Amino acid sequence: MIKKSIALILIAILFVAIFFTLANDLPFGDNRTTTGVSDKYIYHGVNDTGASNLVTAIVVNYRGFDTLGEVTVLFVAATGVGAVLYNMGRPAGKKRKKTEASLIVRTGSRILFPMMLLFGAYIFVHGHLTPGGGFQGGAVIATAFLFKYVSDTRYHIDHNKFTATESVVGMTFALVGIMGLLLTGYFLFNFLPNGSPGELLSAGIIPIIYVAIGIKVGAELTGILDNMMEVEQ
Amino acid sequence: MTAGNVSKYVYTAIILFLLWIVLTSTFFWEEILAGLVLSAMVAAMGYSLFTDKGLGNFSPKRLAYFLVYIPVFLWDVIKANLDVAYRVLSPKMPIKPGIVEIHTDLKSDIAKLGLANSITLTPGTLTLDIDDDRLFIHWIYVRTTDIKEASEEIGGKFERYMKVIFE
Repeated sequence: MIKKSIALILIAILFVAIFFTLANDLPFGDNRTTTGVSDKYIYHGVNDTGASNLVTAIVVNYRGFDTLGEVTVLFVAATGVGAVLYNMGRPAGKKRKKTEASLIVRTGSRILFPMMLLFGAYIFVHGHLTPGGGFQGGAVIATAFLFKYVSDTRYHIDHNKFTATESVVGMTFALVGIMGLLLTGYFLFNFLPNGSPGELLSAGIIPIIYVAIGIKVGAELTGILDNMMEVEQ
Repeated sequence: MTAGNVSKYVYTAIILFLLWIVLTSTFFWEEILAGLVLSAMVAAMGYSLFTDKGLGNFSPKRLAYFLVYIPVFLWDVIKANLDVAYRVLSPKMPIKPGIVEIHTDLKSDIAKLGLANSITLTPGTLTLDIDDDRLFIHWIYVRTTDIKEASEEIGGKFERYMKVIFE
């Protein structure tokens, strides 16, 4: 009880200290978006990278290395889920009963599945032009596969194909980075022309990387879904 | 009577390409090129289930009925909207909700889906489930529980179009 009270008091003191320090230091209500490094991004982003979507310019160009790390984190997470759920299938006869989806869901998924795939592809292909990008497009693609699982209890993906696809696009990302290293001297440096902002083929290496990320995220999330679906063998 | 694989594939690719045009809303050559490549690739992954008829869906009669169906359907939606709005706003609250069963003569799954979605999109009626040729509809004001009358009243008009468009 005493320990808890001391902890609570300490937290309260810390909260007050941090809150008031910050409140004093931060000019409340001022326009802080155009100071320091953000200034550079906002005024030079389009010229530097050729991407009309500033978020993408930062995520994939200025901080491309960080994104490579994020993709790796996702890969490790997918591997972890696979490792935890591997061989954890319920004992025979105790499998959860699956309810067959209604005709509406089954038929709807037949029609919507390719459209959802195309929409996901649209999002990651236009990552440098419109809101969204590789991660979002990949999530849409995984949703399309989730729809398949929901509508067909016997559906399950070919793991080898998905792993192969994932490896190829993952290597594409790394290769683009190494190309930058060889051609310009910096890892993941843009070595392609920027083009004119707003067009599909602009922003140098960003579209290539985002297509790779999109496919990779889609394949990884689908793999996680597959692991969680307790597919009956 | 299902179409051949080539016909199905081409049909799927065309529909996906049209969707791409709608999404990008431009005819810039780079976008068109990307759309063609992606439609061709995505169509390869889903064409076998996407359609039963393939290019047969583009027969002039089907297209004509489809084009006529859009205003007919929208008009029905507007009428049903006003009807439901009246039931919501009226102080007497004239509702008599319930679930009725209706029958359909449609055979193909896609046609049944079209019928079910048309009924659902019309305010006041909602398709709960389909079992073979029986549809279960939640109705905001149950006028009749007779299967024949209810079928005609709820889905009759849609069904005649669906039969031509999808069967």
